Amino acid sequence: MAETVKLVSRVVIRGKIDDVWREITKTDTPQLAFFGAQMRYRALSAGSPVQMRTPDAKFTSVVGEILEVTPPHRFSHTMKFTAHDDPYCKVTYELKEVAGGVEFTLISEDVPVGTKTAKDMTRGGDFIVNTLKQIVETGKPALGTRILYAMFGLLAFTTPAKCRSEHWPLEGKTNG
Amino acid sequence: MRDQPASTLDDMAEVFDALGNSTRRQILDLLRLTPGISVGELAGHFDTTRVAVMHHLRILEDSGLVISLKEGRVRQLFHNPVPIQLIYDRWTTEYGGFWGSKMADVKYAIEHPQPAETQGGSDGGDRQARVARRDSRKDRRRLA
Repeated sequence: MAETVKLVSRVVIRGKIDDVWREITKTDTPQLAFFGAQMRYRALSAGSPVQMRTPDAKFTSVVGEILEVTPPHRFSHTMKFTAHDDPYCKVTYELKEVAGGVEFTLISEDVPVGTKTAKDMTRGGDFIVNTLKQIVETGKPALGTRILYAMFGLLAFTTPAKCRSEHWPLEGKTNG
Repeated sequence: MRDQPASTLDDMAEVFDALGNSTRRQILDLLRLTPGISVGELAGHFDTTRVAVMHHLRILEDSGLVISLKEGRVRQLFHNPVPIQLIYDRWTTEYGGFWGSKMADVKYAIEHPQPAETQGGSDGGDRQARVARRDSRKDRRRLA
């Protein structure tokens, strides 16, 4: 069995817990804290498949299954990058009201050591919590992040064909 | 300043205080290399008492640089780089970060020169040749 690791990132966000919860669970607009991807699920409840797609729905970057939904404190799902042939891992978002705001913790578990998934999860976790803080506190990501997202759009043609959404139907089996 | 998250403006003193101690910086390095390490395992890396290590851990936790999670009866420790990232974001724009890292490259290149036999290697050699060609083109344009 491959060795796995747990990764944790945390930040205190000056805002309302309901606003943070909406940012991490919304499906009507792109989630700018999550690399501008649009979340999709059949239902916001355990057992539902969940995906992250590009706003034009052409590509699916992440697939998984919702494990736990306890609004507005805990959201957990399995996940796998469609670009990598690595096993599923688990992400949990914990929200706790603290003096002056919301303590937001992102926990990634069962991350297979030495894989592309581990590399992306390590860099991505800190980016997500930092960007989420910017969005809730200022209404938008930092300029550098917005430029990065514009670059994503320009480089969309480099996305591997195996990430095309037709290969990852939401209705299909999503967890192994 | 309007775009700056408010909490980055005045919540940094604890982070700077925590980082101002070499043992605490060493603890962060160990946690970065071994995420989820227990307190006992961490203390084993130091000659000081476990109480002293716990004291440093408390300061690191209060600053947000260390996260401790209960896993059964064990307390797992993780390095949280987000407070340092917030400090970086506070004083460094994306353009400043780009040029700052270039200046750092120059510093390291001067302070740690490559041995003569590797300077002509493919990457370094190619880069030097590209720079030389570019400078040459600039000179020709100036003279034209």
